[in-house]
Amino acid sequence: MITIIYRLIVAMVISLVGWNLFTEEKITNQLNCAMVLIPLILRMLMIK
Amino acid sequence: MSTELLTFLAMIGVFLLGCFLLKLPVSISMVLSAIAGALVGGKGIPLRHLVEGMFAYVDTILVIVTAMIFMKVIQESGALDAISSVIIERFHKVPALMLCLIMVIIMFPGMITGSSTASVLSAGSIMAPVLMLMGVPTLETACILAMGGILGMIAPPTNIPAMIIGAGIDIPYSGFGLPLALMTFPLAFLFVLMFGYKYVKSMNYEEVRAKLRTESREKYGLRIYIPLVLAIVLMVINKAVPSIPDMGMPLVFLISAAVGCFTGNRFNVAKMAKESVNSVLPVMGILMGVGMFIQIMTLTGVRGLIVNFCLSMPSFARYIALAVSMPLFGAVSSFGSASVLGVPFLLSFLAKKEIIVAGALSLIASLGDMMPPTALAGIFAAQVVGMPKYTPVLKKCLLPCLIVIIWGILFIVFANQLQFLIIK
Repeated sequence: MITIIYRLIVAMVISLVGWNLFTEEKITNQLNCAMVLIPLILRMLMIK
Repeated sequence: MSTELLTFLAMIGVFLLGCFLLKLPVSISMVLSAIAGALVGGKGIPLRHLVEGMFAYVDTILVIVTAMIFMKVIQESGALDAISSVIIERFHKVPALMLCLIMVIIMFPGMITGSSTASVLSAGSIMAPVLMLMGVPTLETACILAMGGILGMIAPPTNIPAMIIGAGIDIPYSGFGLPLALMTFPLAFLFVLMFGYKYVKSMNYEEVRAKLRTESREKYGLRIYIPLVLAIVLMVINKAVPSIPDMGMPLVFLISAAVGCFTGNRFNVAKMAKESVNSVLPVMGILMGVGMFIQIMTLTGVRGLIVNFCLSMPSFARYIALAVSMPLFGAVSSFGSASVLGVPFLLSFLAKKEIIVAGALSLIASLGDMMPPTALAGIFAAQVVGMPKYTPVLKKCLLPCLIVIIWGILFIVFANQLQFLIIK
């Protein structure tokens, strides 16, 4: 149960970071968002 | 020159080049320096290690994000305004006590999230106008926020550098509460009085009272405080009743934040959540970068080189080395400093009570948040009060930083005598 809740929390964070990625204007900040997304997506999918 | 030393110099060189010359974000500079280090160390571009490194702080990142959402809810719902106005109304006749309570409020988000940025950006941004309203000048206000953020990050219950240092030699994060409280609160009270007392003691209360925001308190009464009380209850309930499973800090923050959406002023939840994530994105990126940086340092043997160097130093030199190198390495990040230097220094002091030593090392490492180019606490504090440059804050905080180092070293020297503070 707690695993599912935490996967949902990670999914929520991914969506918020993704939202920021598309609204950021500076390319370096977009790169930062993209970098943050990588481990979060892998964690949500339980790949790592 | 050994390959490890060459690799280390290349990593530091590329990092500084990225930050100062190319003006890249700290996180991107760290990624580039990690790649440079791997190339110089003869490992090519080890993609698996780079991704592996990013995972080092995923749990910490979740805590920071959810804590920031919680803090924003507290702020938007009006609870933070309510607390500030109560403190000023009740304690304006005792300015020293009022300043100390304001400092605790500034520290609070850092105590909960383990991030100085969270302190400075949330409670700090609320308290800055209050302090300036009471007559504290802009520079001194920025210094109070910066030092409050740093000490809040180290104060219990959440101290991420201590967790990182402890994890390095398998010490569970338990029994740190009292030692960390003793390391941080006396200093916090000293600094806030040092910077603010002479201005606040002569403040005009009637003028300040007119500007206090008491609407939320009058409109919602005690229910405005429910999310705060709930967060504290959920945090301690597992300790008080061990049969209740520990739900983890991120879930505690989200439940309390969800409740906070209904206990005060109404606001746009999606927009608030997006803004919360946006304000901590630089910190999230830095943590990912630090993870990669340290992973590559470990892969190429640079970390081993540093550990060997620390362990082979004579006793007296160790104190000087940690006093200088840990804050300086904070230019990368205080978390990086805790991980790369904190663990070997803790190993070198293994004859002493390790919980006290780890706490003291985390206190010294936290000063990294004042060290440019990252200087998370200092730069954000200057931004919050509207100062164009961060350098005056750094200069003004040099004496407090020195006091922090001396205080931390005293705890290391007397670690064995202070072991009665450890309550598990």
